[in-house]
Amino acid sequence: MFIADIRKDFYEVVANQRVVLLVAPDIDALCACKILQALFHCDQIQYTLVPVTGWQELGTAFLEHKEQFRYFVLINCGANVDLLEMLQPDDDSIFFICDTHRPVDVVNVYNDTQIKLLIKQDDDLSVPSYDDIFRDEDEEGEDSGNESDEGSEPSGKRRRFDEGAVERRIERQRAKREWEARRREILFDYEQYEYHGTSAAMMFFELAWVLTKDTKDMLWWAIIGLTDQWVHDKITNMKYVTDIATMQRHVSRHNHRNEDEENSLSIDCMRISFEYDLRLTLYQHWSLYESIYNSCYTSCSFKLWTLNGQKKLQEFLADMGLPLKQVRQKFNSMDMSIKENLRDVIEESSNKYGMKDIRIQTFGVHFGFKNRFLASDMVHATAALLESAEKDDSETDNFIKALDALSRCAKETKFTLQRLNLLTFPLKMSSFFFLLFSLCRSNIDRLHSGIALAKKKLIAIQQTVASCICTNLILSQGPFLYCYLMEGTPDVKLFSKPMALTLLCKYLLKAFVHSTRNKRCKLLPLVMAAPKDVEKGTVIVVGIPPESETSDKKNFFGRAFEKAAESTSSRTLHDHFDTSIIELKTEDRSKFLDALITLLS
Amino acid sequence: MDASEVEFLAEKEMVKIIPNFSLDKVFLIGGDLGPFNPGLPIDVPVWLALNLKQRQKCRIIPPEWMDVEKLEEMRDLERKEDMFTPVPSPYYMELTKLLLNHASDNIPKADEIRTLVKDIWDTRIAKLRLSADSFISQQEAYAKLDNLTLMEINTIRAFLLDTLNCMYKLRSNLQ
Repeated sequence: MFIADIRKDFYEVVANQRVVLLVAPDIDALCACKILQALFHCDQIQYTLVPVTGWQELGTAFLEHKEQFRYFVLINCGANVDLLEMLQPDDDSIFFICDTHRPVDVVNVYNDTQIKLLIKQDDDLSVPSYDDIFRDEDEEGEDSGNESDEGSEPSGKRRRFDEGAVERRIERQRAKREWEARRREILFDYEQYEYHGTSAAMMFFELAWVLTKDTKDMLWWAIIGLTDQWVHDKITNMKYVTDIATMQRHVSRHNHRNEDEENSLSIDCMRISFEYDLRLTLYQHWSLYESIYNSCYTSCSFKLWTLNGQKKLQEFLADMGLPLKQVRQKFNSMDMSIKENLRDVIEESSNKYGMKDIRIQTFGVHFGFKNRFLASDMVHATAALLESAEKDDSETDNFIKALDALSRCAKETKFTLQRLNLLTFPLKMSSFFFLLFSLCRSNIDRLHSGIALAKKKLIAIQQTVASCICTNLILSQGPFLYCYLMEGTPDVKLFSKPMALTLLCKYLLKAFVHSTRNKRCKLLPLVMAAPKDVEKGTVIVVGIPPESETSDKKNFFGRAFEKAAESTSSRTLHDHFDTSIIELKTEDRSKFLDALITLLS
Repeated sequence: MDASEVEFLAEKEMVKIIPNFSLDKVFLIGGDLGPFNPGLPIDVPVWLALNLKQRQKCRIIPPEWMDVEKLEEMRDLERKEDMFTPVPSPYYMELTKLLLNHASDNIPKADEIRTLVKDIWDTRIAKLRLSADSFISQQEAYAKLDNLTLMEINTIRAFLLDTLNCMYKLRSNLQ
């Protein structure tokens, strides 16, 4: 059931209770989690935070905590599946789900007692109406009652009655069959495509705003959540622009409140500003040349995997009058005269080279003398931390590190230690306590290490894309394109993680569309497989929709993968919250692919 | 005594806040804390003010002495005089640190205030060092220092006492 008033129906309900937060492993969920944590700290609501990476972990976490806790808050997980059937909870467990995955399962929408959806009802949902899907079964009983009564009547009358009753019964059965066929069709249409709705972080920021407890930190986290949806290509451009406008209103409200001519704020206070900035990833923390080389947009427009493309890049730089020596330095050390008009100069030149959208509306934050970050920088850094493939780090450690990178200062975390909140984890993650006390490094350092990891990740993606295109690793299978990353490929460990693989997929498809001459291939979706675990012999398979300017980002691969796996009885694991990402045994790869081809053609 | 203990004692000072919630009178061992009404200023101890601020339940009003012009005057006076001048508050250093770390958005011109308070502190500590040095070198038996705060005394206490102990040992060994 959809919640009408988020303050009354959610916050005040959990206000004096202990809650379990189950958080999915993506940046939007992390930001939403931080906002909710900050709200809980203000009101001293006790909570337990459990990061969950898939449906199985969700189930185990639920079983562990269902004895002690009654209220569960699920962030970015749980809306697109019949939760009650999967978890089999007791009648008094209540689930609050704030999830961007659509379509929301119809059982979750129409359950009135146990499932509360923290989603706006008009958020692009088009849920089928109740009568189309659910039907009361009372009418059946009447027919059978009538039949048994009429059994002992005299023959003439009985035959007439019988005929009437039989006709009505046949009519009713036909109507029921029609209704069921229509129901199947409606459900199929509804559940066929998977897409994403409004960011969870923005939902919780609205909750904070309604409670008038919103701070600049929370606003910044909401912005990061929204930018994460844009960076990982989960929402359409239109939606992104609309949501940016909403955030812009909040930003101007906060800026207006504090800034005054005479009483200027301390330099340490956080300042968020609206920027119409360049689409070059991490360019302020890198050199301009590296950033242009490794950003998806510019790299695909110039086709930097070819020699021709690199020459074009040199031309581009020369056209702007930027000397190579300057451009290869760290951005902070570039000459001030160059940095001043950089954005306009780049925009002008890129228009000449066919890159119309080099600038994008976004936000930047500024605190202290040294720290300036754009929202997309934060997203890349936190994503790199969350999915870092170091051997020693368990997934929860990465989760904590990523959460910390989002805080501004270590003071905040010490403050949370002093509060009476319970922050417990499943027993095997006891290294969490060690991590929490080893916070002698400030969170800004953690953020910078995240940025370094993100740079490595982007370079790895760029190189993999270049090698795939140059060696023609992308094959057209008919209804879709397919690419398989061999085990010996450099940095292949990085791509065993879902978010990194999806980013690679997206870049690869864009690069392919720019490099191929085959008009038909430009409209095909892409399926990509990469080795996940060499010992267990599994691969991770990801499917993304075709690349187009006005794509609505709706992905049908979730259902397609399920059906293909069923028909060939391949050993698959549909553990991810995004149904278009699955794990598969390497041996079953070919038959799974064949099934997929037949299914989609 | 530790610097953190001095800070703990400093948190008992009263500061004015404007709460945004309402609560009846609270009866604590240390005293009563009056009824809280949203929008009406009230005096509370610094420890409570900081806790409420971190939970976003109030706005802190800087104390009267935390003002750029007043602090500039005090700093100039301190530099002119040889003796210690009266301080704005017996815990000025700790209060500045606490309030500027947690509530700098409620205090106008926070950066300048931080610099000015640091200047005053530096001048006073320099005077204290000079005075301790002359006390020891001239082997005085008695010194009187007015207007010192607990934090400043605490900074020099350990060193001074150790020095005097050493000198006593040296002197008694000579005899």
